[in-house]
Amino acid sequence: MAYIPSRIKRHDNNPGKVSVNLTSMMDMFTIILVFLLKSYSTEGSLIQPSDFLTLPTSTIEQSPEVALDLVISKEWVMVNHDPVEKVSSILAQESLIVKSLQEKLAVYSREAKRMEETFGTKFSGKVTIQGDKDISYRLLVKVMATCGKSDYPNMRLVVYKKSE
Amino acid sequence: MAFKPSMRRSLKLEEVEINMTPIMNLMVVLIPLLLTSAQFIKIGVIELNLPPAVGTAVSQLEAPKESAKKLDLAITITNKGFFISSSLAILRNVSGEGPSIPLNQDGTYNFADLSNKLFELKRKAVNNFSDTDKIVIQAEPEIDYQLLVSTLDASRTVEKDGKKYTLFPDVSLAAGVI
Repeated sequence: MAYIPSRIKRHDNNPGKVSVNLTSMMDMFTIILVFLLKSYSTEGSLIQPSDFLTLPTSTIEQSPEVALDLVISKEWVMVNHDPVEKVSSILAQESLIVKSLQEKLAVYSREAKRMEETFGTKFSGKVTIQGDKDISYRLLVKVMATCGKSDYPNMRLVVYKKSE
Repeated sequence: MAFKPSMRRSLKLEEVEINMTPIMNLMVVLIPLLLTSAQFIKIGVIELNLPPAVGTAVSQLEAPKESAKKLDLAITITNKGFFISSSLAILRNVSGEGPSIPLNQDGTYNFADLSNKLFELKRKAVNNFSDTDKIVIQAEPEIDYQLLVSTLDASRTVEKDGKKYTLFPDVSLAAGVI
């Protein structure tokens, strides 16, 4: 039998207060909140990955620290966002040491050492290397050898952490 | 007992609603705050420490040998696969020639086998040699960076039965034949 509303209900056209059901919205917010809290980090990012390159991925747990920034992109080698030498010309030359890069690094190490003398900030010889995932071993070794020769023996290879 | 009229007619079933407004306010503030500070890409670093360069590489190689027995483990990445070698011998594969760990059938590198082999080596070597944390990695000039990093991963830790074992975390890169 079809539902026939009672006399009172039939005339009750003005139910008064309308309340929005917020429960589902609250569910959604709770999930988003938990997800964001999980990916929250107090450190912030100390290293900004450069454009024009894709870092390799790795399973390492170690987190980055602040150091001199050396970028090996597909076309240029850059120190602190300053282009130093073209990749093609590094690959073309015979010697293991890259002259122009060595000069550039010498400028930075001289400056850092002067800072050490005047302000007491320790010069650690740290350099972070951001390399594109497709660069060849030959290029990497040449850049690393140059760093080692110019007072930056503590190298860190920057990678993306593999998400679990 | 006094007569109590039935409440049924006058009783109103009233739904009690929690006042959500303060919670909503909280959410509206918290979510943008967390969104801006969230890190979606995690960045890590692989540490490689060299001694500060003094003299040429050759003179370092000929440095006086210490009395303790050294393993001098090295991995060479080639386009045929991995060669594992130490001061004692070069590890051969089953057939007795070619790389220690050859490529897979489909031409990819066999990192699982590399990790397992190194795990075996580490277990045998850990009491007999003084340098069981160190490993030298070298590669052919055209090996790309991602492959190198993956090899570093494979030689650093291995996961067996849900437990993580440290293999050779102290990595040096050799220039090899450039």
